[in-house]
Amino acid sequence: MIRRSAMHCLLLATLSFCSVPAFAQTIDYDPRRATELRPCDDARYRGRVQQARDCYRRLLETSGNLITQAEAAWALGDVQRANTLFREATSRNDRSAQPRTRWGRLFLQTHQHGDALALFQEALQRSQNDVYAKLGMAQVFAQRFEGQARTIVEEVLKQDDSLIEAYLLKARMDLEEGQLETVDATLDRAQQLVDKQRLPPLEVYALRAVLEQLEQGRRRDQWIEKALAYNPRYGAIFEQLAHFEVMRRRYRQATELLKRAVEVQPDLWSAHAELGANLLREGDFAQARIHLTTAYSGDPFSATTVNTLRLLDQVDKFEVSSTTLQIPSANGGTFDLELRTRLDPKEADVLRPYVRKLAAESIETFAKRYQFEPREPIALELYPNHDDFAVRVAALPGIGLLGVTFGYLVAMDSPAGRATGEFHWGSTLWHEMAHVFTLEVTDHRVPRWLSEGISVFEEWRTGPTPGVVVTPETIAALHENRLLPIADLDSGFIRPKYPDQVQVSYMQAGLVCLFIEQRFGFDRLVALLKQFTKDTTTKDAVEDTFRISTEEFDKQFDAFVRERYKALLANMDDWQRQYQLAAKALSESRWQDAIEPARRAVELYPEHSGPNSPYLLLARALDKSGNRAQALQTLLDYRAAGGWDPGALRELARWLDEAGREREALEVYAALNYVDPLNGDQHIVLGERYLAAGNHEEALREFRVQLALSPHDPAPAHFGMARALRALGDRAASRRHLLDALETAPHYKPAQALLLQMIEERKRNE
Amino acid sequence: MCHALRAIPSPLALSPRRGGVGIAERDAGFSGAAGHGLRATASSLLLAASLLVTAPALSDTHALIIAGLGGEQQYEQRFRNQATALAQATEKLAGDKSRVTVLYGEKAQRDNVRKELRALASRTKRDDQVLIVLIGHGTYDGEEYRFNLPGPDITGSELATLFDKLPARDQLIVNSTSASGAAIDRWKRDNRVVISATKSGGERTATRFAQYWLEAVTTKQADTNRDDVVTAAEAFEFANRRVADSFKAEVALATEHARLEGRGAERIAVARFGNAVLATSDELLSALYTERAGIERDLDALKQRKATLEPDAYYDELEGVLVRLAMLQQKIDARQAVLRGESE
Repeated sequence: MIRRSAMHCLLLATLSFCSVPAFAQTIDYDPRRATELRPCDDARYRGRVQQARDCYRRLLETSGNLITQAEAAWALGDVQRANTLFREATSRNDRSAQPRTRWGRLFLQTHQHGDALALFQEALQRSQNDVYAKLGMAQVFAQRFEGQARTIVEEVLKQDDSLIEAYLLKARMDLEEGQLETVDATLDRAQQLVDKQRLPPLEVYALRAVLEQLEQGRRRDQWIEKALAYNPRYGAIFEQLAHFEVMRRRYRQATELLKRAVEVQPDLWSAHAELGANLLREGDFAQARIHLTTAYSGDPFSATTVNTLRLLDQVDKFEVSSTTLQIPSANGGTFDLELRTRLDPKEADVLRPYVRKLAAESIETFAKRYQFEPREPIALELYPNHDDFAVRVAALPGIGLLGVTFGYLVAMDSPAGRATGEFHWGSTLWHEMAHVFTLEVTDHRVPRWLSEGISVFEEWRTGPTPGVVVTPETIAALHENRLLPIADLDSGFIRPKYPDQVQVSYMQAGLVCLFIEQRFGFDRLVALLKQFTKDTTTKDAVEDTFRISTEEFDKQFDAFVRERYKALLANMDDWQRQYQLAAKALSESRWQDAIEPARRAVELYPEHSGPNSPYLLLARALDKSGNRAQALQTLLDYRAAGGWDPGALRELARWLDEAGREREALEVYAALNYVDPLNGDQHIVLGERYLAAGNHEEALREFRVQLALSPHDPAPAHFGMARALRALGDRAASRRHLLDALETAPHYKPAQALLLQMIEERKRNE
Repeated sequence: MCHALRAIPSPLALSPRRGGVGIAERDAGFSGAAGHGLRATASSLLLAASLLVTAPALSDTHALIIAGLGGEQQYEQRFRNQATALAQATEKLAGDKSRVTVLYGEKAQRDNVRKELRALASRTKRDDQVLIVLIGHGTYDGEEYRFNLPGPDITGSELATLFDKLPARDQLIVNSTSASGAAIDRWKRDNRVVISATKSGGERTATRFAQYWLEAVTTKQADTNRDDVVTAAEAFEFANRRVADSFKAEVALATEHARLEGRGAERIAVARFGNAVLATSDELLSALYTERAGIERDLDALKQRKATLEPDAYYDELEGVLVRLAMLQQKIDARQAVLRGESE
């Protein structure tokens, strides 16, 4: 099951998928490369395109070495021929690792990781210490942001410390993870080797420029100049720089760099693709399409480009609407903010009112709490098809995210994108809207852990399902001392080292914010966030905000969480046993036997209100045992603890009704709209309740939504519309809906009665 | 690994935009096979039909409900429960328990099914209405549909022969089993409405249709025109819609798409509620029903002309007809109240 918070937004991990092209090999540093390729390579690396092409073409025709021919074909852009030649080379050299390694590289460049990995593994079967095959595997893992990449690089460097590519890859991973301290030394070593082997220094320059960019150094442009002096067509340096800006969510800066990349090297297809993707993050669909189409024309092998182009065709059909919100400002007045929604036309009329309402509430909440007024319109996109959403944010289907924020643009699954009960779309929207603020307050400088932490924390504190919900996996990580120091918390998001680490890192980040609020006060959390309005590190920001070292902060945080979960940590085995006892008793319909263990499981772990919550076991056991009052209270406790399972909420609303607590039932029915709005059940109920309470606008909204769902039986919704409109004074529209109701259901007696009343009134007025 | 098979695909083969890898296909098969088509037909005939089904039944309704082999405990129990609940609802419709037969467990063996179908044929008259509901698993081997029963299965062909012996003018056969679509063309007749849970024999997964059919006949949710009678057309619309919704809610590919074949589904009552269960020999009430039927025909005719009228003109005319109907309904209600008072 998808957990409430943990899967909300792998913000940077997601973006990194989009950034794959930045890894594309531009320089081949393999010292085994045939010497006859050297003159051609030199011309290419210097940007002398025609000379290089003539040279490779000559080699392709004259070389007696199949691998050389394949490399020449590849350099000429003829990947099909290169593929054929590599195949032939491997079949003729069954025991040789090298052709397989090089062939694997070709697959790597053409985005076919599975085949690339298989070839690297074949190479290793033939030569188990082949460092180039290992490096190829490391490149694949690095592109996928998988933790093994670093282990392999370290192993390779132990084996051979003269491998330029290994140093470059190590430096790049360090840069991505913000471990900047050792990058300089790593690049120095790479530079020495480049000089010694008389190979082009371009990739070293590019990474030095990145380091300068990340450290706010002044020499970034010098490295760019040096690279362009070496090769005036070296667009890859801008692409690399853009990649790291995207990693920091600085999309505008990335766009500028990518524009320069394609300006100096118009056939750098990967940069066109990345520029298209980045323009989409900024909401510029038209320009994005142009660059993605260009990328496709030169590199038709990229599934990400193709998928994104397909998605654009789909999104063209979406309904785009806009409204101006009036948000209270800190100075006591209001400020106007445009909210744009892009919704699938099939569900736009259902979702629009709730999306707007919740977005407006979140903006008002966050503007006040973080003392920030958004400076640009906020755009929300909801995708009913999860794969469309995944392509939208990561260009790849099948990614387990729920929402992603690109600054003022939020894209997320719509309620139809997941099975009912799998996610709470209102909480997801709330979570993402918090990102809008944390990103924009800091001009996108906020570190990932803090942005995610505040989003999770705000779900708990101010979201539509308030209540601290911490997953069992997080408790297990705490129990096993697997939480990360705050200064290193980002790494839990980028390169997780164990399966649940990303989700655990979300929870940990949320708990850190909770700790700050409770130990130092909420204003210190805001102060910490505002440290990132300038370039700084987590370490410095923590120390400046709290006047303690990060080590001391970690110590205090650890004490806080251990105290908070003291009972559970001391009774982990008992909790599991009680939970299992309760579940087993329920499965055997032994309702009484389930009550005490379920109650104990809730007592030990009251924040377990996500999927499979013991509250639900307890409520069921109590109800089946005839104790409806306690069962009802248990579901109320469950909801207060952040529980939102739609089945449980429907049961709770029904029980409240039966207990004569209609007002509370109404609130629960209304809450269902933020988890399961596409289910027609609650809209008619809500509409009728709002009508009875004289809340005609709200009633109208609910009946209208019900009609937008194209129900099997539209008469009640039309009849509700008729009454709400009548109450609001719109007699003509009321008549029309009343007649629509009776057209469908001519024997609908309440509607008949209203019709006769309407006729009577008309007669009286004539 | 076979290198000969490995090749970098051509740009054409790599491009999902132009056919190849890429995002998953969307919305494959969520829409009901017959739903929309039926809606158009059924809605246009609904009002005329309501006249016939609302009026007290002069003919008898006979029903046979069979729950087949579950195979697993959960299915065994589910099919049995559905069959008994459906039988209870149908008894209310038929007005006489003896006219409803339910078979499940060992009683649902092939020989007994044959026997009960022959008995049903012998006790029904031409003017009667016959309802047959099959619940359980079905299979299709490419040539023959089989309804899975304890012991030997019964084939679609054999069932067709037995159904053909039924003399009743109005027949409804609801086959809610998996693969039931395989039998529908073989069973359909001019005087018979056949409903299947699946569009063909290829939809082999255990179905959900029976569950929603049961809901249609035991609650008033399917009674969209509010005449207290659920017709086969209304029940089919309801169940078909619910099945589709259930798959949508799970974001799962729909594994069944119900079909309805034959004319007259709007005429066949499958459940009655409230006043509609009152049979009457009261002449005044009968006259009122007749008058109401006339107004319903007017309404139906008007709706047929809707596309040709300006909206304002249509609604003005509609209002007139509906006011007449509402006023007449008051008279019917009053008379029914009097009759209830007399019977008390």
